[in-house]
Amino acid sequence: MRSFPMKKMLLITTIFTLLACSLYAAGSTDGEVVIVVVPQQLGNIVFLPAKEGAEQAGKDLGVKVQWMAPVKAEAQLQVEVIEGLIERKVDGIAISCNHPDALKDVLARAISEGIVVSTFDADSPECGRPFYAGTENYQAGVICGEEMLKQYEGNNKSSISVAILEGIPGAFDIESRKKGFLDTIKGSNLKVVYVGACDDDVDKSVTIVEDYTRANPDLDAWFMAGGWPYIVQPGALPEMTKWKQSDPENHKVVTMDVFSSSIAFFDEGLIDVAVGQNFYSMGYLSVENLYNLISGGEVEGGMKKEGFPGLFIDTGGQIVTPANYKDEIAAE
Amino acid sequence: MKSEKKSISNTGFSRIIKQVIHAPSFSVFIVMVLMCVLMYIVSPPFRSVNNLLSIAKNFSAYAIAGIGVTMVIITGGIDLSIGSIFGFSGVIAAMGMVEFGLPLMPAVLLGILTGTALGLINGLFIVKLKLPPFIATLGMLSIVRSLCYITTEGYPVTGLGKEFLFFGQGYILSIPTPIWLLAVIAIIFSIFLNKTVTGRRIYALGGNEEATRISGINTDRLKILVYSLGGCMYGIAGIITASKLGIGQPTAGNGYELDAIAAVVIGGASLSGGVGTVIGTLVGAAIMGILRNALVLLSIKSHWQQFIIGCVIIIAVTFDQLRKSNKLAKV
Repeated sequence: MRSFPMKKMLLITTIFTLLACSLYAAGSTDGEVVIVVVPQQLGNIVFLPAKEGAEQAGKDLGVKVQWMAPVKAEAQLQVEVIEGLIERKVDGIAISCNHPDALKDVLARAISEGIVVSTFDADSPECGRPFYAGTENYQAGVICGEEMLKQYEGNNKSSISVAILEGIPGAFDIESRKKGFLDTIKGSNLKVVYVGACDDDVDKSVTIVEDYTRANPDLDAWFMAGGWPYIVQPGALPEMTKWKQSDPENHKVVTMDVFSSSIAFFDEGLIDVAVGQNFYSMGYLSVENLYNLISGGEVEGGMKKEGFPGLFIDTGGQIVTPANYKDEIAAE
Repeated sequence: MKSEKKSISNTGFSRIIKQVIHAPSFSVFIVMVLMCVLMYIVSPPFRSVNNLLSIAKNFSAYAIAGIGVTMVIITGGIDLSIGSIFGFSGVIAAMGMVEFGLPLMPAVLLGILTGTALGLINGLFIVKLKLPPFIATLGMLSIVRSLCYITTEGYPVTGLGKEFLFFGQGYILSIPTPIWLLAVIAIIFSIFLNKTVTGRRIYALGGNEEATRISGINTDRLKILVYSLGGCMYGIAGIITASKLGIGQPTAGNGYELDAIAAVVIGGASLSGGVGTVIGTLVGAAIMGILRNALVLLSIKSHWQQFIIGCVIIIAVTFDQLRKSNKLAKV
C-alpha cells in the first residue's frame, strides 16, 4: 500500500486551517451585541420570513444577528446548537423549539449564564424565558378547525370525511396543530378518515396527497397541518386539481401556512382557507425585544396571560381565502 | 425431423425459464408480484392504470439514483452523498434557468455536470486520498448539502419555465416522461455492465480488487469512473424531481441515500461487492414504490409506516439469501 505523501497532507491541513480561520474571522463580532436566532431546521421555508424580519431588526438596531439551525428538525441537535452558543457567550438567543421539554434545561442554563433568551413560534414556557413571540400552534389548529367547520355550515351530510397531512409523526408543533384541529371538530359531522405523514419532505407530501386523492375521489376535505404541498407548482398535483375542481362546493381544503407560491393555487381554486402565521413579525419583534432587555430596557407590546409564564407577544396571523388572497399575500 | 425440432425448441424454452428462475433478482421479483397480487385483491384503487403509472413515475427518480449507486456497490464501495448531490443538481439546474438565464438544455446539462463533478470528487477522495468510501461520501453528504443552503440561502428556486416541467410532469405516448427516462437509462447501464469490458471489470473489481489490479486493470481509474457515473445518475434523478415539483429545493433528497441503497440491496446486490444488477435495483425500487403507495391506499397509520418498510426490506433480502444458500447447497 502506498503511503500518503507528507507534502499533500501539509497542503490539505493548510487549506483547512485557512478556511477555518477565514470562517472564524467572518463570524467574529468585535464587541458588538450578538443575537442568534435558532429556527427548528435549516432550509424550512416557513422560517424564511422570520429570518428576514430578524435581519431587518438587526439592521435597524445596529445589532449583529446570526441565523443558526440544525439540518434536521430534532430537539437534540438544537440542544447542541444552544450549548455551542453558551460557550460562545452570545448576548441573546431567540429560538423556535423542536420540543419544549427537551430544550427546557439547556435554555435555563443559557439564562443562568447571563444570556437573554426568548422563544418564538414554538415555545418552551418552563425554561424561564422572559417572553414568547408568536401564535400558538394549538391555537392555529383551532382556527383551522373553525374554518373547516365554516366551510360545511348548513351541510346536512351525516358524515364528512377529512384526510389530514402531517409532517414528522410526533413533531411537537404539528401535533399541537393537529390536536387543536381535532379538538375543534370533535362532536361535529366531520370525521377524520386518514392521517398521512410526509416527514417534512415536499416530494413525499405531493405523493401522499396525490395517491390518497386518486384512490378516494369521494373524500370531502383535506386539512394540511403544514403547507408542504403548496411550495410546489400546481402542475405537480393533477389528481388534487381534478378532485377539487370536480366539486368545489363540497370538496374543501384548509391548510396551515401561506407562501408566495400559494397564489397559483388560489388562482386555480385549489385552496379554500390558508391560515398563516406572521413569521416576519416573530423574527423582528424577537430581536427587537431581546435587544431592549440586553440594553437594560423592557419588553414592548407583551401582555400577561393567566397561567402563562413571562410575557406573550401576539404576532397575530392571517386567514387567507379566495376573496382576499391577492391583498393578503401581496401585503406579506 | 419435426419431433427433433420440437425437442430443440423445448430445450431452449426450458433453458430460458431456468435462466429466469435462477436470475439473481428473481426472488425479489416474486416478492414484488406477490405484493401486487395482494394489493390487487384488497384495494380496488390500486388496479387503476393511473395509479400504476403514478407508482412507476414516483419511483423512477429513486431507481435512477439506485442504478448509479448499484455500480458503486458492485465495486464494494458505498455512496452516502446520493441525497445531497440529488438536491444540489436540481438546485443548480433550476438556478441555471432562473438566475443565470440559461436556455433549457444548457441548464439541465449544467445540473447533470454538477452531479458528475461531485461524483468525480468522491472518486478522487477515495482513490487519491485513500479515504474509505463511507467516510469520503459521508463528508460529501454534509459538504454538498451545505452548498445547497449556501447557494439558495435556504429559499426554493421558483419561476421555472414550463418546458423544464416536461422532464417530471410531461407525457410521451400517455406514459410519464420519468418512466421513459428510467427505461432508457436502465437499458444503457444494463448493457454497459453486462456486455462491455469496462462493465465486466467493475464486477471483477468488486469480486476481488487485488486480483483485478494484479491482472493489469487500472482499478483507481475504474473507481473514479464508477463514482462519477453515480454522481451523474443522482444529478439526473434530482433534476427529474425538481421538474416534477416545479421548484429547485435545497432540502430535496434529504435522506434519499438510504432509500436508494435499500432499493439496491432489496434488488439482490451485496454490500461486500461483486454482486448486483440493474434489473434487481429496478425491482427493489418498485417494491419501495408499491409499498409507499399501498400504505397510503390502505390508510395505514403513519406511525407504522417505517416499521412496515423495514419489515419488507428484511423479508425481501432474507428471501433472497435463503434462495442463494439453497442454490449453493445444491452446487
